[in-house]
Amino acid sequence: MDPILQEIYSTVLGGAPFVIGAYALLWVVLLVYILYISLSLKKTEKQMAALEEALREKK
Amino acid sequence: MNENVKVGGILDQLANVALVLGLLLTTASFILTFTIVPVPQSNLNVVPADQPPAEIGGLYVTNALMFSQKIFYFHMPVAVISLGILFFTALFGIMFLIKRDHRWDLNAKVATEVSLVFILMTMATGEFWTAYEWNAWWVWEPRLTTYLILTLLVIGYFILRNAVDDPERRAVFASVFGILAFIDAVVSLLITRIIPSSRHPVITREGGLEPLMVMALVVCIFGMIFLAYGIYRTRIREQRLRIRLDTIKERLED
Repeated sequence: MDPILQEIYSTVLGGAPFVIGAYALLWVVLLVYILYISLSLKKTEKQMAALEEALREKK
Repeated sequence: MNENVKVGGILDQLANVALVLGLLLTTASFILTFTIVPVPQSNLNVVPADQPPAEIGGLYVTNALMFSQKIFYFHMPVAVISLGILFFTALFGIMFLIKRDHRWDLNAKVATEVSLVFILMTMATGEFWTAYEWNAWWVWEPRLTTYLILTLLVIGYFILRNAVDDPERRAVFASVFGILAFIDAVVSLLITRIIPSSRHPVITREGGLEPLMVMALVVCIFGMIFLAYGIYRTRIREQRLRIRLDTIKERLED
């Protein structure tokens, strides 16, 4: 490899794996949590709807 | 709280808008950070001997505070917001202790949960920066140590909630614990000023930021605020619905 390019890459991109790792982990934590609360909300809403339906039928 | 607890008001409807806005702004900040925001020009007085500066694009740059500094644009906003949300934990805790209304306890619980998510993001991003810049995954440095204590306190908050069965006692203990966690959050925020020898970077101590850097940072902060609000309201909605559901089920069983 060209020694100047090698020097540039080693200087500039030495931290790249750490930067990518940090951003990836940040988004994984955030998206997993958003997914978790969205699914929980959907599940609860579904149960609520089923309960309301059951109550209506009972009346 | 009972089955009449309010769900689906205007604040709940705004949650989805806030989530979308948050995702858009944080994505915009991400693009800005890696396209137009410059790398910081290193202060040659603080360049470590083993990291000689190199001239790239007319700038003298070093490994220190260079590409890895890009982590800062997300690390700092999530850290500030994790501490900010704990203010609401303490506020809701105080409101519960005054009014003894369990809605405040639920608000405090959800706020602490959202804060924990932001704390985990802060720890993750901070660890990667530390690993590269300080060549160690962990350093017993004042900011890191107080923030670790805060992390343990917030985890402890949920352990405490699970350990107490009586709802009244649980809410009182959790409220007091949440206030204590917020006090540690303030200490963690101010520790780099209290102990100036701290290795943790401080913007004001290290010469401030260029306008483009400030722009990316502000866009990300607003994005994260919207995300935090959207997550908080969505979770509150789910928890209130769950309480209403459980109450109706109990009445039907009776």
